[in-house]
Amino acid sequence: MTAYILRRLLGVVAVVAATTVLIFGIVHILPGNVAYAILGEFATPSAVAALEVKLGLHDPLWLQYWHWLSGLLHGDLGQSLTMDRPAGPVIAEAVGRSAILAGFAFALVAVGGIGLGVHAATHAGRPADHVLGLAQLIFIGVPDFFWAILVILVFASMLGWLPATGYSPISDGFGAWVSHLVLPVLVLAVGLIAHVSRLTRAAMLEALRSRYVLMARAKGLSERRVLWRHAAPNAMLPAITILAIDFGLLIGGVVVIETVFAIPGLGRLLVFAIEHHDLPLLQAGMLVLTTIYALANLAADLAYAALNPRIRYTASA
Amino acid sequence: MTLTRRAAIGAAIGSVVALPAIRPARAASNVLRVGIGTSLSRLDPLLTTIGDEYIYDNLVFNGLTRMAEDLTTQPDLAEKWEYGTDLKSWTFHLRQGVKYHDGSIMVAADVVAMFKRLMDPATTAPSRSNYDMITGVEAPDDHTVVFTLSYPYGGFADIMTDRQVKIVPRGKVDQLATKPIGTGPFKFVSYTPGDRLILAKHTEYFEPGMPKLEGVELRIIPEMSSKLAALQSGELDVVWDLPLEQVKTLAARNDLRVESVPSGSWDAAIMNNLIPPFNNPLVRAAFQLGVDKADVVELTLFGQGAPTISMIPPTHPFYAKTVKIAATDPAAAKKMLAQAGYPNGVSVPIIVPVGRPVRERLGVTLQQLAKPAGFDLQVQRVSYSSFDAEVSGKAPLYIDGYFARPTIDTSTFPFLHTTGSWNSRLWHYKNAKVDEALAAGRLAGDPAEQSKHYIAMQEALNADPAGYIAYSVNFACAYRKSVTGVKTHPMRWFDLRTTVVA
Repeated sequence: MTAYILRRLLGVVAVVAATTVLIFGIVHILPGNVAYAILGEFATPSAVAALEVKLGLHDPLWLQYWHWLSGLLHGDLGQSLTMDRPAGPVIAEAVGRSAILAGFAFALVAVGGIGLGVHAATHAGRPADHVLGLAQLIFIGVPDFFWAILVILVFASMLGWLPATGYSPISDGFGAWVSHLVLPVLVLAVGLIAHVSRLTRAAMLEALRSRYVLMARAKGLSERRVLWRHAAPNAMLPAITILAIDFGLLIGGVVVIETVFAIPGLGRLLVFAIEHHDLPLLQAGMLVLTTIYALANLAADLAYAALNPRIRYTASA
Repeated sequence: MTLTRRAAIGAAIGSVVALPAIRPARAASNVLRVGIGTSLSRLDPLLTTIGDEYIYDNLVFNGLTRMAEDLTTQPDLAEKWEYGTDLKSWTFHLRQGVKYHDGSIMVAADVVAMFKRLMDPATTAPSRSNYDMITGVEAPDDHTVVFTLSYPYGGFADIMTDRQVKIVPRGKVDQLATKPIGTGPFKFVSYTPGDRLILAKHTEYFEPGMPKLEGVELRIIPEMSSKLAALQSGELDVVWDLPLEQVKTLAARNDLRVESVPSGSWDAAIMNNLIPPFNNPLVRAAFQLGVDKADVVELTLFGQGAPTISMIPPTHPFYAKTVKIAATDPAAAKKMLAQAGYPNGVSVPIIVPVGRPVRERLGVTLQQLAKPAGFDLQVQRVSYSSFDAEVSGKAPLYIDGYFARPTIDTSTFPFLHTTGSWNSRLWHYKNAKVDEALAAGRLAGDPAEQSKHYIAMQEALNADPAGYIAYSVNFACAYRKSVTGVKTHPMRWFDLRTTVVA
């Protein structure tokens, strides 16, 4: 198992290293120019030229890449061009807020998705299954920004129970912190719960029909033990894959929800960087996001191995 | 199992029901919370370039002069000023004992240092070219600043009201990006990019009894519907820069006060005067004759604006009310096109900036309205971030627009004079009468004489349009009724010195 973990870790390092080149290359073929973006209505040709020199945009690409990479290796994520401040702290703060949001949503999705999926499978064909199936289709089909606007209208504007938007740091009080998180976490979670529970239901039905479950039942094991010791671990594998992808998505890919709820997370920061053509900020943000994705997949692989001995043994063989 | 599951569900429901109880209390009283659209990038006023940043500039800092809501120039850090008869030497007398937020005293050397920094090319200050007439700035004593100019400039005290030229302590320039210090009514407390900028009352502000607020929060909420929901639920007191389509709906509500004021911001269909078909003045004139500006205002701005001849808005005293604008006549426009050598009309793409909804709408409106006049326009969408580099000054026809500038000279000369810095990035326009009037306008110190020249400029421009300057855009804000003592400023910033939240 240790060798397996080590090998997977090496894989993560290789993936991240390769993506530094990719990220750098891709952001540099984006059309547009940061000098124009910074100067806006003041972008006269002479002002643009002067700023380009100041920002080092005239250096050859390989040199710019080298500066960036050597900075990275020294723990320096570079300087945001538009904000005129180090990118590292800006990204760290955004990731922190995203992680809180993602953490709560992820916990809801993992517990709710798998729980409801198992429930639907064990009640297949009964009313609970039909109700859940319909709800899944609705929450998968209707995009999350619809629910976002709807819950803001209902819970903030009409009922006035919860704040409409914004993020309140925990230092401003626990109550405010929680109340600002409730709506975005719920909206983020429902769609993903629908996905995960649908997937779990299908996998669970298949597992319940399998011969090892028949065998377990024939041994006379209790139904609960059959369900959670024998069927569920196998049925969870596809759900775990999806959950790993969902975690990365929740950290950096929920731009719409972050925009609607005005939460200054990583997704919005990346969009800001793209809009303003702030390449160092964009590069650093994408690198952090790639690393998180890679680590989430690593966690999924380890969970696989823990749940399914066959993977563990083949991998270390 | 069943019991614990029930307990868990019960606890979950209970916590949701209990949430209203842990709702945050309203923030400390008499703090004004303003909803804005996008993150501030720069906190150094000299480097700011967007409307959201200008709000901050005008709350935390002061300039030598200040522009009131009626667009008149008033004393700010300078109590009074005078100029030499040649308009090339300007002397500003500073207020005494003005304190910065850190308690130190503002002196003339700070003003000199700020303008030296502005004029230094290494600073890459965006507005540097607006002050290229300055050749020298000196401080004969602690309360006097003398500027010498390379050419006579009648509006010099007016351009001191502008957004970037704010006075900062000369020894604290390095910390402007992170911990800015000024003399303004509010001092910087903290800034979280993408979230909020927090300001507190400057207790030693130089105008006694001001400001009345304890603090100001600029909350960054990109999504307009979220912003309006927050205004409705009382989390915000002001929403800055309403979308014009919302003005009428919101104005009907009795818990809000909506103000929509004319501003000097304008949008235009930019026509490249160097390449066909718009190198032919008749084609440009035909477009103007064939498309009704009043219809454009109705369709693009939902009526929240006014047709105009040049960048000078119809509300300005220098607007040429006497100029006779020909009634819209698509048939005559078609004839004019034939005369210009386009008997079958003109077919050309019109490029619109993605992410600027009003300008996108203007492009589509023009595509529709110009059809009967013989213009077949194909709308092409280009992202705004690559607009400047790829479209400006190059494409034959595109939509662009500019925010209000502090003086009529800075609003018109750069855009319409043959040598103007913006002219070369837009239409490459060349008209001797316009050039002459613009040059005379900036040499005149007396408003009556200035007015004469600018009216002549508009007459010449109307006869030979540079492009299609469609309208002056209104600027609108929504306030909760509890907010008093603030007027909507045509320059899109706020003066909150006497504002109170009940």
